[in-house]
Amino acid sequence: MTTVLEFRPDQASSLAAEVMARSGQNLNACYQCRRCASGCPVGEETGYVTPDRLIRMIVLGKKEAALDNPLVWKCVSCLTCGTRCPNDIMTARIVDTLKKMAKDAHVPPLSPKVAAFHSSFVAAAKRLGRLNELEFMGRYEWKNTLQALTKFKFHEAFEEHKSQAGLGLAMLRKGRMHFRIQKIRGKQEFRRLIKRGGEQLAKSPASQE
Amino acid sequence: MELAYYPGCSLRASSEIYDLQCKRVLPAIGINLHELDDWNCCGATSASKMDDFLAIAMPARNLGIADASGYAELVIPCSACYSRMLVVQKVLESEKGILNEINGELSKKVIGKTRILSILEAIGPVASSGELAKSVVRKLEGLKPACYYGCMLTRFPYGVPVPDSVENPQGMETILKILGATPLDWSYKTDCCGASAAVNDNETSIKLMSKIMKDAIAREANCFVTTCPMCQLNLDAYQEKVKAAYGIDRSMPVYFITELIGVAVGLSPADLGVGRHFVDAMALLRELNLYE
Repeated sequence: MTTVLEFRPDQASSLAAEVMARSGQNLNACYQCRRCASGCPVGEETGYVTPDRLIRMIVLGKKEAALDNPLVWKCVSCLTCGTRCPNDIMTARIVDTLKKMAKDAHVPPLSPKVAAFHSSFVAAAKRLGRLNELEFMGRYEWKNTLQALTKFKFHEAFEEHKSQAGLGLAMLRKGRMHFRIQKIRGKQEFRRLIKRGGEQLAKSPASQE
Repeated sequence: MELAYYPGCSLRASSEIYDLQCKRVLPAIGINLHELDDWNCCGATSASKMDDFLAIAMPARNLGIADASGYAELVIPCSACYSRMLVVQKVLESEKGILNEINGELSKKVIGKTRILSILEAIGPVASSGELAKSVVRKLEGLKPACYYGCMLTRFPYGVPVPDSVENPQGMETILKILGATPLDWSYKTDCCGASAAVNDNETSIKLMSKIMKDAIAREANCFVTTCPMCQLNLDAYQEKVKAAYGIDRSMPVYFITELIGVAVGLSPADLGVGRHFVDAMALLRELNLYE
């Protein structure tokens, strides 16, 4: 998939400004050298939406394309692009920002499994203060199953469970899966803290990590 | 050396053997660990994809606990935990508003004085002082590891000083040479294994791991060595699948750096959980007469 890009001055400045503010990255510094693209390990999987293309999309104001493209969901957060960028643009942080913007704009994730993974992880970690892999994977598989069943993809749901069960059994045999629950004692303090939600953060967007 | 220790959730679950190895092996080379009291999950890479504040607040509580621990340095063996804590410490240095907001809720406030070390930085001084060499009772002769660093030991989403070469780190090689092994030069040491993609985008992850395996085999490595529990689990648990999908006919055990140090200083591989790998990790040690 090669996206033909056209300049949309009506959207360009507001989109770029929002992404720059939320990601803390200066998109205007990109001179399209494509050093990021040549190092991107998933560049072959994204229909050639490489980090440089993504930045271009944003600068040209293609909001729909920026919020809904394979790179946002295929990115493995390896940070190779940003580490090699001669202008220090950390595209992985732009990708993280676009995931959050897509969620805010109710754009359905191109990969529901990736979205389910991160939301399940965070939900499980927030509940007890430590991550319990069984709870996390349980939440994740439950979301995937619902997702597959509501689309009548029974075979997909079955295959997913079969492969996860296979891995789970192997982990159990190797003593690498545990049924004990780990949690923190300072749960109240932890919950108060994460409920704050960052009033200061909203005031200083450039800080966002 | 007395260090505060943050194991993280993985080391209490699927990578429990890494926790066990850290606690047995590091004291054997003069590094005593003191676990942080009531530490919480660092949020890993997921928190920053969901909620900006959470991604800072979760590691911050641990930083406060570390600052109150009385130890000047904190070792974090898991690469994801290490990266998150280091990055958040740096962010809070300049973001006083967020720092105050967070400290307002914490009983142990973030001061930012604790130095955060990866496991390689913790072992580094023991290696360079010659102490490690003195502890070696069994040279790892014949071991030709491909040292696999993955992403999070040298690449960070925020400007922090990186203690090793970003593109060609040598921390593991330095240690393994002292242990008598012959680490190899190769091209994929900082490439990504896919991390969580192994679960949520398996095909992509399997493809990335196939490239890593093929290069290591082409360089005639006989094992991988890593410090990251996620890299270890991926390359180990999914290796059969990678081999089948990409026509690779060799298996490669995936060691944690701690188990190889343990073997070299005379600890029993069985006691270190070397038998709990998916790809047989005992066979190579037996073949090289490092374990009877």
